[in-house]
Amino acid sequence: MRFNKNKIFNIIVYIISFLFFIALILLLSGIFFQTSPGLFIKELENVNLWNSIFLSFKISFIVILINLIIGIPIAYILSFHNSKISFILDSVSNLPLTTSPLVIGFAVLITMGPLNPVGKLFIDNGIKFVFTPQGIVLVQLIISFPFFVNIVKTSFDSINRNIIDLSKTLGADSFDILSKIILPLSYNGIMAGLAISWSRSMGEYAATQMISGVIPNVTETAPIEVFVKTSYGNYPAAIAIAGILMLVSMFSLGVFKYFSYKMKPK
Amino acid sequence: MKLLEIKNIYKNFSNKKVLHGINLDIENGEISSIFGYSGEGKSTLLKIICGIIKQDSGDIVLNEKNINNLEPYERSTTLVMDEPLLFPHMNVLENIAFGSKLRANKKRHTTSNKKALESPKEIMGLLGITGLEKRYPSEISMGQAQRVSLARALIVNPEIILMDEPFSNLDIISKTKVRKLIKEINCELKISILLVTHDIEDVINLSNKMFILNKGEIKDSGRPKDVLKKPSSIETAFLIGTENIFDGIISEIDKKNNIVKIRLKNEKPENIYIEADYYGTFKVNERIVFAIRPEEVMILREDRGASRSVRENHFTGKIISSVFTLRMMEILIKSESGLEFKALIPFHAYEVMHLFEGKTINISLKKSAIHIIEKKKR
Repeated sequence: MRFNKNKIFNIIVYIISFLFFIALILLLSGIFFQTSPGLFIKELENVNLWNSIFLSFKISFIVILINLIIGIPIAYILSFHNSKISFILDSVSNLPLTTSPLVIGFAVLITMGPLNPVGKLFIDNGIKFVFTPQGIVLVQLIISFPFFVNIVKTSFDSINRNIIDLSKTLGADSFDILSKIILPLSYNGIMAGLAISWSRSMGEYAATQMISGVIPNVTETAPIEVFVKTSYGNYPAAIAIAGILMLVSMFSLGVFKYFSYKMKPK
Repeated sequence: MKLLEIKNIYKNFSNKKVLHGINLDIENGEISSIFGYSGEGKSTLLKIICGIIKQDSGDIVLNEKNINNLEPYERSTTLVMDEPLLFPHMNVLENIAFGSKLRANKKRHTTSNKKALESPKEIMGLLGITGLEKRYPSEISMGQAQRVSLARALIVNPEIILMDEPFSNLDIISKTKVRKLIKEINCELKISILLVTHDIEDVINLSNKMFILNKGEIKDSGRPKDVLKKPSSIETAFLIGTENIFDGIISEIDKKNNIVKIRLKNEKPENIYIEADYYGTFKVNERIVFAIRPEEVMILREDRGASRSVRENHFTGKIISSVFTLRMMEILIKSESGLEFKALIPFHAYEVMHLFEGKTINISLKKSAIHIIEKKKR
């Protein structure tokens, strides 16, 4: 076998990728080797643990529902309307991607606090965001919606504009076009977007911790529980929750990959 | 009866002038076509008519009603494009029925002389696509897909169907079929069609009236036969690919016999004259151009004396090239005086007359076949 430059190039590329891949697997699967099955199962009987996991599920489910309602109109404007407004909207909606989640949580904490006029208005009307589950929904929404919007926008972008123009002349108004053409054609993109934003919301820690106040059984989501248990030195419990979180993210990754492969035109 | 009037349409795209004062009328029940090269704004004009693009100024009047401010779904104009553009997530039947299920179309009413097609089944039968109902767009051929697209446009009973190069992606067999189909639909349903194309054959085959669009303006219009035989300007003549165009000067007008004598411009010192039927308002010594269609250049047979009708405008020349084209032999003849004529003759005639490159032959240009075009003063 003769080594030419192209073969050497391939070998280098594959070696680097595989080394990193192995390191990553070892790092992440480490938590499963640290505990014994007996301890793991014993921890699973803890009510506190399940409360935090159910809370995470509940909140992330509400978050993706809201994502669906606000994300589709935003993605629609970004994809179909080429104007200054869509440019501004694009920049603003992507801002959470580059901002530290901690800062986002902190900003919401300050804005929704009693000293801020906005926060005061809500509090006076009986709606509290600080140290409540709805506060967690709010920050997780801010953090996860750019993921949803970007994927749905990409999916909308791939629809042939001539098909849309043509259906207008067949008598379709904007409502018909959205419900009968755009949404069915972007089904895969929307599902992939939901999977990724759900996974983002399930695992969100920093911003959530800022706004949650870490109240057991009320605002303690699963990722926060991992941190709390670790700080108490209760490693088996932390490992149990982290393991479940990892299974959840594997599942949602699978869902995401399935739909995003289907999204790509063959 | 006028169906569609386009009045003084202007459209610019970021400083690029696309349409520059377009005026045209479309008669009810006819097939009209707009002929022009790619990028001349033909598609833009169609999109303005159906409301996808807004014009900068000008009016669109459909059935004596100004439709400038109507949204596309309120306009009763449907579009068929060069690609079938079927909805990939619906089967053929759902694709065709798409328009008939929409609210906007339920309120539409059609003009009386048109036969309305109600059910998808009926339309599919008419277009010869029965049996494809359950198939998806990825499972049918391009020609079938284009027919489905046509059916989808027909079912909403539009006042006019706008077609944007509907044949450009079809192979030659489907092209002929779809052309025939469009003609039949037009006859049977009396539906008006506005066709946009860069293929002069589409125009000749299908349309009752043609418009030539060039540089954002309508340069010529009329029945395709007339426009093709007698283009009104040199510009149009070039656009529709007229060959055998020559420069000349009117040297004599014989109004009694209706004959005009033209002196040809050529390199040789001696004057060459050509006679043509007199019409129009030409004056002696006016510079003109004239054209003769390649299929009207007659090659005289050696074994027979020339009959009376072909005794006009004789030239002797050599065949300098002969090419076999799709249906005809295309022959280039260079006369002794240095003029080059292109002639089109059927292949069998080429063989019967024993023609070959380098052979010296006699040709005749019939007076009535010579079309004189006024040269615009610059």
